[in-house]
Amino acid sequence: MSEGDYDYLIKFLALGDSGVGKTSFLYQYTDCKFNSKFITTVGIDFREKRKVYNSKGPDGTSGKGQKIHLQLWDTAGQERFRSLTTAFFRDAMGFLLLFDLSNEQSFLNVRNWMSQLQVHAYCENPDVVLCGNKCDLSDQRAVSEDEARELAEKYGIPYFETSAANGQNVNEAVDFLLDLIMKRMERCVDKSWIPDGTVHTNGPTNLDLSEGSDRGRCAC
Amino acid sequence: MAEQPLWEQIGSSFVRHYYQMFDSDRSQLGSIYIDTSCLTWEGQPYQGKIAIVEKLTSLPFTKIAHSITAEDHQPTPDSCILSMVVGQLKADEDPIMGFHQSFILKNINDAWVCTNDMFRLAIHNFS
Repeated sequence: MSEGDYDYLIKFLALGDSGVGKTSFLYQYTDCKFNSKFITTVGIDFREKRKVYNSKGPDGTSGKGQKIHLQLWDTAGQERFRSLTTAFFRDAMGFLLLFDLSNEQSFLNVRNWMSQLQVHAYCENPDVVLCGNKCDLSDQRAVSEDEARELAEKYGIPYFETSAANGQNVNEAVDFLLDLIMKRMERCVDKSWIPDGTVHTNGPTNLDLSEGSDRGRCAC
Repeated sequence: MAEQPLWEQIGSSFVRHYYQMFDSDRSQLGSIYIDTSCLTWEGQPYQGKIAIVEKLTSLPFTKIAHSITAEDHQPTPDSCILSMVVGQLKADEDPIMGFHQSFILKNINDAWVCTNDMFRLAIHNFS
């Protein structure tokens, strides 16, 4: 597939306290390749991956595969200094919210991240997948699966126990988020909820729009 | 060549000392602040040597390295020194980020101390 050859450009943002494994998680998802692009001035790092999404038709049959260009955004670690620009949140369509199963504080801070999301994301109930990362460190576990599930249920979001170290549930979590996004799009007839320039079919009438307003794409 | 003005000499040796301490052992930074010193760190205010050192030592990274790109120093009307630094930093294995930091230095009992300190990462909004 050439650079511009896709049906949908979808942007995900990885969030969570510093040290929970966001960068390793995305690294694992993008097949362990160091292919990230870093934009210094805005402090974001992003990785890309191509996927084919098969939507289920109303009769349960699989429709035509849609070519997805996934952009996975990562911070440059500025949350350590307390300065995440809110534009980060606004331009993303889906969120991977990570905490560290061996660090209780990172779990307690999930509430703060959720309230920040509700304020700054493109809508009040964006699609979020909660990931309890580092599940391979079972002897250091500080958060039980039950309490994590309980919190996820409170917010009505899915929960996965993941390991960026051995890859457990990493693909499942991201694919689940993609599925939520694609289903949301299918539900929205006019697609007016979508953040600017994020997603458009590549039909001739929409091509200009998708190119022109796509601010988040790498300008380097 | 004429000797550098005094404020340039004091300002630049302070800056060198500050980042050398910051990068090696942040807990030592208490020696440059006093109880009325103010720090604004990414928009959050801290006052007094103890609160400032507590903030700086609690930053969640183990390694940090600063690289100074440029610094400017001026004498103020009340015999202090105003310093501004533009540079880059790398915390642990994170990507390199730009930062700005400004200081006011004051001579008290023949020692220079930092009365004001403001820090921001050079991270911008989109569009």
